[in-house]
Amino acid sequence: MKALEVRSISKMFPGNLANDNISFSVEKGEIFAIVGENGAGKSTLMNIIYGIYTPSGGDLLVNEKEVKIRSVEDAIKLRMGMVHQEFMLIPRFTVTQNIVIGDEPHKGIFFDYGRAVREVRELSERVSLTVDATAVAGDLPVGVQQRIEILKVLRRGAQILIFDEPTAVLTPEETVDLFVTMRKLQAEGKTILFISHKLKEVMEIADRIAVLRRGKLQGIVNKKDTNEEELARMMVGRNVVLEIPKVDVEVGAVAFACHDLHVRNKRGYETVKGMSFDVRGGEIVGIAGVQGNGQDELVNAMIGFSHPVSGSMELNGKNMRLVTTAQLRKEGMSYITEDRARRGLVMPYTVRENAVMGQHLGRPFSKGIRMDYDKLAEFAEGKVREYDIRPGDVYDTAGSLSGGNQQKLILARELSLPHNFLIASQPTRGLDVGATEFVYHKLLEEKKAGKAILLISLELSEILGLSDRILVIFEGHIVGETTPDKTTEEALGLLMLGVGIDKKVQS
Amino acid sequence: MSESNFTTKFLKIFGIDNRGHNRRDPLNVWVPLVSIVLALIVSMIVIAASGRNPFRAYALLFGDSGLIPGGAAWRREFAELLIKSAMYIATGLSVALAFKGGLFNIGAEGQFWVGAIVATFFGYWAPVAHTFGAMYAALGSFGWIAQLLHGAICIIMGMLAGGAWAAVAGFLYVKRGVNIVIGTIMLNWIAWFLITSWLVTFNGPMTPASQTFTFGSFYVADTAKLLRIMMPTRLNTSILLVLLAAYATWFLLYKTTIGYEIRAIGYTANIGMETPRAQGINISRRIVQLMTISGALAGLGGCFFILGMQYQFPGTAIMGYGWTGIGVALIGQSEPLGVVLAGLFIGALRTGATSMQVANIPKTFSNIIEGLAVGFIALQVAVRYYLVKIIQRRRARRAPPAGQEAAV
Repeated sequence: MKALEVRSISKMFPGNLANDNISFSVEKGEIFAIVGENGAGKSTLMNIIYGIYTPSGGDLLVNEKEVKIRSVEDAIKLRMGMVHQEFMLIPRFTVTQNIVIGDEPHKGIFFDYGRAVREVRELSERVSLTVDATAVAGDLPVGVQQRIEILKVLRRGAQILIFDEPTAVLTPEETVDLFVTMRKLQAEGKTILFISHKLKEVMEIADRIAVLRRGKLQGIVNKKDTNEEELARMMVGRNVVLEIPKVDVEVGAVAFACHDLHVRNKRGYETVKGMSFDVRGGEIVGIAGVQGNGQDELVNAMIGFSHPVSGSMELNGKNMRLVTTAQLRKEGMSYITEDRARRGLVMPYTVRENAVMGQHLGRPFSKGIRMDYDKLAEFAEGKVREYDIRPGDVYDTAGSLSGGNQQKLILARELSLPHNFLIASQPTRGLDVGATEFVYHKLLEEKKAGKAILLISLELSEILGLSDRILVIFEGHIVGETTPDKTTEEALGLLMLGVGIDKKVQS
Repeated sequence: MSESNFTTKFLKIFGIDNRGHNRRDPLNVWVPLVSIVLALIVSMIVIAASGRNPFRAYALLFGDSGLIPGGAAWRREFAELLIKSAMYIATGLSVALAFKGGLFNIGAEGQFWVGAIVATFFGYWAPVAHTFGAMYAALGSFGWIAQLLHGAICIIMGMLAGGAWAAVAGFLYVKRGVNIVIGTIMLNWIAWFLITSWLVTFNGPMTPASQTFTFGSFYVADTAKLLRIMMPTRLNTSILLVLLAAYATWFLLYKTTIGYEIRAIGYTANIGMETPRAQGINISRRIVQLMTISGALAGLGGCFFILGMQYQFPGTAIMGYGWTGIGVALIGQSEPLGVVLAGLFIGALRTGATSMQVANIPKTFSNIIEGLAVGFIALQVAVRYYLVKIIQRRRARRAPPAGQEAAV
């Protein structure tokens, strides 16, 4: 039986055909993946199915009956549920309160919390998704928060579940857990739509895979009959070489060095507990580690957002322990962030305004206090061409660009600032294959130009492919140093999880 | 692009770039207009419900608002409209500028009073007043130069004082994390009691000693009064000065590095301002600067109040110019040009309000219109939503979307 069928769905936005005549059907109990680059039309399609957008044309069938889905309420009535990429949880509410919100059990006009807790416990047992029903949602790890979202959807009786890039926010272990959950749901006869651009994950979990490119359906393939390379080709429309070429550069002087660095997080806990390392010109030093082992605090200290409590930090031989971001920038620090919306760009600002932020003071972009917006546009137009930022109008807001193009804009800005030390913090997070490849090429170009690069990443393939030296961090310590030719993903993975480390002999 | 090259080139002559910081959204114009129309309609219902004739009320309100030329009293009404509007525009600009930087400067009221009291002081203080009095006498027919200088000194001092008052709140926010709303509202009360319980009170330091009852502060010298520009009305230079201030505010926001940084801070204010911070922008310094300029604009309104209308700090001070500024900023969508138009609208309502009493309608009815207009602006998400729906429906009717032929 077909749980869901999409017939010739199209969606037209002004000047952009986001979905062009897409048709496919999903069998009941199937895990059906939809892959495509950022901006290929995956989210638009899901929003149509879930009633957030109305299609410009085409039909939807649920359980082989034609339906009109005009709102999310309609979609829920048809037993669909969406697990969003950004969770819609209220952090101060308990797990139970979050799950029952919108459809609360009640006694007269009063909310029956006791019954709600019982209901949530029963549900979580029945589908074997373990949660603590009375814990406060905001205190829980991301993976558990996602479980709450799934339970919320299941409690509303969803038979068709849409997962919108569910792994983007998860650690590798949490991803494994999620896949176990998805399999369980499948075994119960639920139908799952899985949106992703991570081919490895898709190959692991999906039964069939639909590939979108620029709003068009490129094809639907069985997992059995395909491989990652073929999917990548279909997504990008050409052969993508994710093999990273080896670039040999003579290593230069030390650009950044820290010794016995201790940093506290916002809540006052020490999460960087004595790190010492250096980065030299012409080398990429990779920091491998599971998220939450001190990476964020290390970066915050390195960009001047927080001051280390003790230890030394030097850039080009100058003491940088207690300086501002502006001083670090002046000394040659550049920073590529994974958090494009919060830290990378001012989203309502146009491309031209974003392109110069950080070098807008002084010539050529300003004289005295007067800013020359024409110069900004001129500069941004050059960068748009050089970095192939699309759609390429410098008067578009940064927020209207796709993730990959936003990252290109950040690269364009950071690499045009005078710098000799580059911090690349998860530079390919959330990017599609094409944009990822672009970032890798740029990083290698930087290396060739003799810049010192610190690469912080959760993707081991990236660390192994790009780095000259690899530092492994675990619980705020550097627990190992190695080079890509002396290690494997498995060995690194064990080290990252703290396996076989004698806590007393940490560097 | 539908924008013609001609328009772009034409506006460029005035230094205006209509490709803008982000392409001007036509809804920014439609939302306030629709809000005002809705407010007028709802107010009509309220007036009708109270058993009065809404058409008569509006005829009187707008007939005497100074907006519509003609009639014996028009020149006077027009002058009143501009005098009132100048103050509303000043406080509106103050609030709007802070909004742009993500700060809710609710203290325009206090900054207005501080500006007013300092302008009063430099208006009557003997060393200054005598100097310019002597200069006026000596210059003969060029006496207006003395008037200009004395007025300028009062205004500069008033603006500096208003700015300093607001800077305190900015400083507390930056250094000690005191919420800007709390900080500014507290400073309002401090300003209020400093003035009414100490400076301008019975036998206070700024009141004549002979008074047995307080009638307000000393009067400012004639040389400190703003020049009148449309005899015989009392229209003065305040409207010209405030237009200059509006232009300066626009220039600051859209043509300078400070404005560029301020807007970047404002756009990211609710997500921690990390992007501008990571680019090395000194956020603390900019916030204090922004509050200072914002306070100076409110202080300018206070100067107008004293030097153009009251000529003394009155014993029973009229409250509300700063508060009204919040509404003006909201209706004006925090854009300098919008604030000017919104300030004129509020000024017109206040000018015409008294006339409605003829039809037995309390003059406070104009406040209902004002309040409703601000209310509908506050509901702008909803207004926007319906406007977008209307636009989409009209577009859909004009051109059936592509892919329709594929549908059954």
